[in-house]
Amino acid sequence: MNIKELNSRKTPIVTIDKSLEKFKKQPLFQDKVDKANEILRKVGLPKKQHS
Amino acid sequence: MKLPKYPLKAEKSLMVFEFTSEGPRGQIKKLVKYSETNLKDLYNLAFGDKDDKTSEINDKIISNNGDSDMVLATVVATVYAFTDKYPDAWVFATGSTKARTRLYRIGITKYLLEIKRDFQVFGLKDEEWEPFGKDVIYEAFLVKRK
Repeated sequence: MNIKELNSRKTPIVTIDKSLEKFKKQPLFQDKVDKANEILRKVGLPKKQHS
Repeated sequence: MKLPKYPLKAEKSLMVFEFTSEGPRGQIKKLVKYSETNLKDLYNLAFGDKDDKTSEINDKIISNNGDSDMVLATVVATVYAFTDKYPDAWVFATGSTKARTRLYRIGITKYLLEIKRDFQVFGLKDEEWEPFGKDVIYEAFLVKRK
């Protein structure tokens, strides 16, 4: 794969960094997660999925 | 999106990503996190600036680093990586302020044709999800990989 192809890929190349593991357990952006849960409790998922 | 993007790092489950924005205000580390919600297979997408000294994350700050398109394109790249790994996942997103939600809406609108090739895209309006439309003010967004 050349540089041009790499740059045009939709799925990025991701380097694994173990130091980020700690953020997985931290309740980051909890206000947003709470807001999402509140909205989803009321509206759920879309009734019809489109193509 | 065929836009320039920043290189991405992630932990192995691809639920936390990090990249570094570069601009007139210097290098700013950004953290993107996909958090589980109360609905199965539905994840909240949020991102913010990471303070390297304290490891604190701030999603209210306005970085003004002159690279908002590249930052959004990089966040979209994480959605591709995340939904490659979790193809059944729904991804929910909303801004930390109305102004920021508006910016996300403008970003989605700008690349809607391209995004719709790979994702179903919904906007939340009057407490109902509808297929994302241009020039409609939404409170939140939801995407699922096709």
